[in-house]
Amino acid sequence: MNVLKVSRLTIAAFVLPCLIIYVGIVFVPIIVSMYSGLLDWNGIGESKFIGLENFRNLFFHDPVFWPSVRRTLMFAVFSMAEIPVALLVAILLKRYVRRPNFLVSSYFLPVILSVVVVGQLWKTIYNPASMGGMLNQVLTTIGLESWTHTWLTEPAVAMYSLYFVALWQYLGYHTLIQYTGILNVPEEIYEAARIDGAEGFTADRYITFPNIIPIFKISIVLAFIGSLQSFDMVMVMTGGGPAHATDVISTHMYNMSFLSMKYGYGSSIAAFLVVLCLAATFLINLIFSKLEKRFS
Amino acid sequence: MAKMSKLLSLVMTGTLALSLTACGGGSKTDEGSTSSNASGTSSNTTETVKEKNVTITFQNIYPDPTDPKNKLMNKLVKQYETDHPNIKIELDSLNTDQQKLKLKTQAASKEVPDITVVNPAAQMQPFVDAKLLAPLNDMLDQNGLKDTFQDGLLDWYSFDGNTYALPDGNNIGVVYYNKELFDKAGVKVPTTFEEMLDVVKTLKSQKIQPMAIGEKDSWTGSFLFMNMLLRTNNGPGFLKDVVDKKKTFDDPAFKEAVDAFENLVQAGAFQDGATSFDYNAGENLFKTGKAAMYYMGTWATGGIETSSVNGKVGVFKFPTINGKGNPDEFMLAPGSAFAISADSKHLDETKAFLNWFMINFPKEAFEAKGAVGIGQKVDGDFKAAGYSDMAMDVLGLFKDVKGGDLAFDNTMNPGTAQVHLTSIQNLFAQKKDATEVAKEHQAAFEANNK
Repeated sequence: MNVLKVSRLTIAAFVLPCLIIYVGIVFVPIIVSMYSGLLDWNGIGESKFIGLENFRNLFFHDPVFWPSVRRTLMFAVFSMAEIPVALLVAILLKRYVRRPNFLVSSYFLPVILSVVVVGQLWKTIYNPASMGGMLNQVLTTIGLESWTHTWLTEPAVAMYSLYFVALWQYLGYHTLIQYTGILNVPEEIYEAARIDGAEGFTADRYITFPNIIPIFKISIVLAFIGSLQSFDMVMVMTGGGPAHATDVISTHMYNMSFLSMKYGYGSSIAAFLVVLCLAATFLINLIFSKLEKRFS
Repeated sequence: MAKMSKLLSLVMTGTLALSLTACGGGSKTDEGSTSSNASGTSSNTTETVKEKNVTITFQNIYPDPTDPKNKLMNKLVKQYETDHPNIKIELDSLNTDQQKLKLKTQAASKEVPDITVVNPAAQMQPFVDAKLLAPLNDMLDQNGLKDTFQDGLLDWYSFDGNTYALPDGNNIGVVYYNKELFDKAGVKVPTTFEEMLDVVKTLKSQKIQPMAIGEKDSWTGSFLFMNMLLRTNNGPGFLKDVVDKKKTFDDPAFKEAVDAFENLVQAGAFQDGATSFDYNAGENLFKTGKAAMYYMGTWATGGIETSSVNGKVGVFKFPTINGKGNPDEFMLAPGSAFAISADSKHLDETKAFLNWFMINFPKEAFEAKGAVGIGQKVDGDFKAAGYSDMAMDVLGLFKDVKGGDLAFDNTMNPGTAQVHLTSIQNLFAQKKDATEVAKEHQAAFEANNK
């Protein structure tokens, strides 16, 4: 702080307006929504205070809730598992491609497309062969007819089809982040390492990775929080169907609040989601602070 | 000292910036409330006082410019604004789902637009219970508006003797079929459900898609299922009996309907991946001649007329199941309806406008060729006005209507309805024992009606 040579008061004065707005549009709604979670309320009429009844139903009597939590967490796990792949792609780009900018931008392209566009695109790809679905037609052509599925409507595979689209869309995003991180590692270190006989993946293990742990962490947090909140892609492609087979926490919350008109109950799901996000962020930070210590 | 003054100026700048934005917001809201107050008083005092400017927000579900109803709405609104220069009507055109969501959000903060759209019976009940809608009895008596509606139709929008909304439509569930594809496969219009299953199998064997459905919007399957229940129950009123605790979902009639529905699905009636097709995508299969049959409310007539299969399409009544039921009993779909906000700042002007709008609605709809399935009586010769043969067939079916049932979500509360919709959607994805389905329904009904 002292490096900045500004008094704490000044800092406070500058931070205050932003802080007020932030508290107003982030924390106040969270508190209000948590309070709504304690109500029996359809969203428009009279409300009744029922204490923790909503949470009790949510945790013990809701057949959709825990499966949707499981799917959400699986989503998060897959998204995080994608980061090492993105890192590998970034390393390969840096090492073997002379002008990688074009490739990086191409990988990044799906990210700037609206989720609705991506969703519709993949819906068409996933269609049954009789409706012109590309994936099934390709499978049939190369003789793997037994592998064809109605990808979005078989409860057993529908969720994985959705995971894949999300991974496809965000691979470029994480590759870009990792690639930028790698570029920031000073070239001299690699040169010094080469003299000592460390090249290729050995250099990556001992130089690249420890140097980009903070960047790696950003990617992990973004992937995790992003997939906990996944909503739009599920809505566009399956709407949580068939029969809740692709419901995640946020779509379940939406269904309850707006379609079943149980606003209080929906709010209790929202409260759960907030707590889950906070806990996850805390946990990830903890793990990474340990990791950083070990490598530095 | 210099540092101190610097800091002070900083703080001052900060507060200045803050107060500026605050002022901006404040003055805006002030403006809004004064103008609305002014018009509020004007509407309360007599009309001889020179009219103040009034803006009426008109939320509607006619966003599509190719829809005849969109055209007639724009025409009527423009004409009314010309006749009443002091009144400005602001349109808020949304598609059905958006409108439902927006209204719920607005209702939560008690900011219902002057005119909005609600759905009949159980779906509008929460809004009525929350006293968000204005009773329209007085306005219905003006200019004889009440008598323009079909007999009994307004009952679906009335609670405790007050009518709260005016429907723009009154439709029935029918099966549209593609005559060309039927001829090609050599099948005839089925008169029993068993024949219908055979038709499905024959079409299927000739590689013609038998039926289209947009089951991602799960009400479509439910609408068809309820028609089957109407047959197996040997008449209407099953859900009402459940509500009145005279029957449970474990009733044989319900399970028979589930079985029949599953037979239809298992026979391969619907397109692969039906649960990922939304309403429009499902309907498009039929409208582009890729499917031979399509079960839907008669509101689809207009859309089919403007599609490539126009002229090849006929309609038939949903047949009897195991000899049960009467084909003249239909799924009734009293349409979405215009309601007025109880908190409207210009209640009188809004009522006057809606009264005029609804009185002119049937005539304009007739001219715009959109009068099939509207909720009001229409004078005029449809044939002479150039309505298509299919439209004439549909109008013919209307004459046969001898009662029927409402859709599930118009009869049961939203909580139960959602479980039902999911449960039916599930039948498209996997076969399930009818007893299980019944149990699921009963549990949901009991949990949501404590």
